[in-house]
Amino acid sequence: MKKLLISFLLVLVLTTPAAAKINIVATLPWIGSIANDLGKDKVKIKVLVKPSQDPHQIEAKPGMILAARNADLLMYNGLDLEIGFLPILIESSRNNRIQPGKSGNLDCSQFINAIEKLEAVDRSMGDVHPLGNPHYHLSARNMMLVARGMTQALAGTDPENASFYRANLASLEGRMQKKQSQWSKIPLRGRKYIAYHKFFEYPARDYGFQIVDYVEEKPGIPPSARHISKLIASAKRSGASGILTTAYHGKKEVHALAQKTGLRSIIVPHDVGSAAGINDWFALMDAVLKSLE
Amino acid sequence: MKRGFIFFILLFSLATSGHVFAQSDIESRIRALEDVLKKQAETIQAQQIMIDELKAEINKKTEVAAAPESKEKQTEVQTAPKAAGLFGGAAMSNPNISLVLNTYGYSSNLTTEEVRNRSIAGYTTRGIDRRNGFNLEAAEVALYAPVDSFFNLYATIPVTDDGAELEEAYFVTTCLPRGHQIKGGKFKSGFGRLNSQHSHVWDFVDAPLPYRAFIGDEGFSEKGIQYTYLLPLPFYAIVGVEALQGDNDLLFGSDAASGIHAYTAFVKASLDIGDNSTILFGPSVLTGKTKTDTVAADSDFSGDTTLYGLEFTYKWQPSKDRGFKIQSEYLLRTQSGDLTDTGSGLVQSLERSQDGLYFQGIFKQANWEFGARYDILSLFKDDYTLAGEKQDWGRRPWRASGMINYNFSEFSLLRLQYNHDESDVTGKPNDELFLQFIFAIGAHPAHKF
Repeated sequence: MKKLLISFLLVLVLTTPAAAKINIVATLPWIGSIANDLGKDKVKIKVLVKPSQDPHQIEAKPGMILAARNADLLMYNGLDLEIGFLPILIESSRNNRIQPGKSGNLDCSQFINAIEKLEAVDRSMGDVHPLGNPHYHLSARNMMLVARGMTQALAGTDPENASFYRANLASLEGRMQKKQSQWSKIPLRGRKYIAYHKFFEYPARDYGFQIVDYVEEKPGIPPSARHISKLIASAKRSGASGILTTAYHGKKEVHALAQKTGLRSIIVPHDVGSAAGINDWFALMDAVLKSLE
Repeated sequence: MKRGFIFFILLFSLATSGHVFAQSDIESRIRALEDVLKKQAETIQAQQIMIDELKAEINKKTEVAAAPESKEKQTEVQTAPKAAGLFGGAAMSNPNISLVLNTYGYSSNLTTEEVRNRSIAGYTTRGIDRRNGFNLEAAEVALYAPVDSFFNLYATIPVTDDGAELEEAYFVTTCLPRGHQIKGGKFKSGFGRLNSQHSHVWDFVDAPLPYRAFIGDEGFSEKGIQYTYLLPLPFYAIVGVEALQGDNDLLFGSDAASGIHAYTAFVKASLDIGDNSTILFGPSVLTGKTKTDTVAADSDFSGDTTLYGLEFTYKWQPSKDRGFKIQSEYLLRTQSGDLTDTGSGLVQSLERSQDGLYFQGIFKQANWEFGARYDILSLFKDDYTLAGEKQDWGRRPWRASGMINYNFSEFSLLRLQYNHDESDVTGKPNDELFLQFIFAIGAHPAHKF
C-alpha cells in the first residue's frame, strides 16, 4: 500500500511536463492585460480576481492556490489591496519562487509613486491603506512605469526572450504615449465630481479633474443616512458634473443620490472585463475617460 | 595665378566630393538624424514624467517639511526599496500582531451545574465549560512574520479566565521545492475541516456534537510535525501526513505511550464549478495510543483509537453581498482496549465503534448571515461492547441549531444562536441561547477558503 502510494507520487512528480511558456499569475485583470501586451505568446496568464469581484473581499480559494503553485511569476497590485488573500495564498502555494523577496514575486506598486500615504492610521478611519491609494491603474503615467518594471521581471525570469519583451515594451510605450496625448485632449480639466470610493484619485491627478466629495464617509464603510442627507444638501452647491462609482462600489446608494440631487450617476468601468468590449487596458482607459465626459 | 588656380581646384574638388558624398548618403543621414531626434524626444518625455513625479514628491515633502525628520525621510524614500504591501509594510522589528476577542452571553434552561456536568453517555464524560450569564471564550493574541527567506512563524496565544495558553506556535517552510511544505511545532491538525480552523471563524458559537464526542470542543492542537504536498494535477489536491505527540485527552492522552503516539493522514481535493461555486472534500484518518479518563465515570481507559473523517464544503459566492455555503463532516471512531475501574480496580475489555455527522447551511445577504445546523451521533454505527456485552445507550443523541449574525465590518461580528440539544438521552433537553461578540484588531486576518 505504502509502496503503491510512493510510486504513484513519483509518477506524478516525474511526469509533470516542463512548461514551455512562462506561467504568470496576475491578481487583477489589468495586470493580466499589461503582462499580455509584454509577454504575448511567450507567456501563459492566469488572472485570479474576476472583474465582478472585489479584491478586498475574496478568499484564497483552492483553485487560486493551485494556480500560484505553478506560477513562475506572481504579479500583484500591492499597497495592501490584496492583503486578505495574498499572504495566505503565497504561503499555501508551496512555491518557493513567488515568496516575498524572491524574483518571482512582483509587487507592481513598487514602480509607481503612491499618493495619499498615511502616517498614522487605525481602522476607525475605515478600510484605509497606509501605504497609499492602491487604485493606481487608471493612469497611463503609472502604467508606463509598471510596464517597465514588468518587462524587467519578465526578462529576468526568461532571459532567452529578453529582447522580445523589450521590443514589446517599446511598442507598448509608443501606444501609451500616443493614447495619452489623445486622452489629455479630453476636456476634463477643472471638472468636479462626487465619488463613492477613493478610486479616481490618480486619473484626477493626470487629467486635472477634481473629486469634491465622497459618498462613503469612510473608505469601505457604507454611508450612514445622516451622511447621505448632508451630501444631498451640499451636492447641489458643489457644481459637480456627476457622481462616480464602479460596478461593485455602492451602485444603489449612488443611483438613489443621483435621483435626489438631479446629478448624473456615472458607473465607471473599474477593470478590464468589467463591461462588454473592454478587453484590454487601453479599452478600459478609453471607456473610463469617455464615461467622465 | 597659379596659386589661384590650385585654390580653385582644391575648392572645386572639395565641393564636388562633398556633393557626391551628400548625394549618395543623404537619405540614411536624414534617417539617422530623425532617429536621434526621436530618441531625444523619448528621453525628454521620460524625463518630463520623472520631473512631474519629482515635483509631486517635492510638493508632498514641502507639505510635511514642518516635521523635523522630513529630510531624513526623504533620503530614506529615495534609497530604500519601497515596502511591499504584502505584510502591511510593518517595521521589520515587529511581527504582525492581532487580537481577537471572542465573548458571549449564555442562557440555558439548565442550571450552570447541570450544564457543566452534561456528558454524552457512551461517548464522553466531559461536560460543557460554560456558565449562564457572561462568558469569555478567549482574547486571542496571534503573531506571525517571516523568520527569514526559509520559514514563516506563527503563534496563537488565547488568554482565558484560566490564564494564557500556547494554543499554536509553529513554523511553515517557504523554501522547499515546488509543492512541498513542512510545518512543525504546536499546531492545529489538518484532520477534518473545523479542526484546522480557529473557533472564531466558525459559523456557529460551538463545535458540533461529533467534535464534542470524539475530539473535544476546541478541536485538537498538538505538538508534532506535518508534511503536505500539493499535487501537480489539473485540479487542487493536497495530501498530508502528521506525526503528533498525542496530548488530546479524548483521543490520546499524554501518558498513553512514552514517545510519539499519534499519526494522521489526510487528502483534500477541490474543484471550481463555474465562476462562483467551489467544492472542497476529502477523507482524513488518525490513529494513536490512548490513555484517558473520559470514556466512563471513575474509569481509566487504555488502548488504541482510530478516527476516520470525511469532509465536504460547498460555497456559492456570486458577489460579495450574497452567498451560500453547505458544510458537513462525518466522523467514525473505533476504540479497543481495557477499561479499569479506579475504585475497585476491575479491568474489563472495551470495544466501541461509533459515528456522528453534522450538516450546516449558511446563507449570506449583505452584512447578514443566517444559518442552520443539525448534529447527530450513532448515525450508522453504534457498537459499545463492554466485557463482551453490547451496551444500549438508548436513542440517538442529536441537536439542532439556528443562528443569525451581523457583520458590522470585516472586523466585528454579533451573533445570536439557539441550540436545542438532545444529546443527554437520559436527562433533560438543553435549550441554549447565545449572544456572541467577536472583534479583531491588528494585522489583517487571512481570508481562507
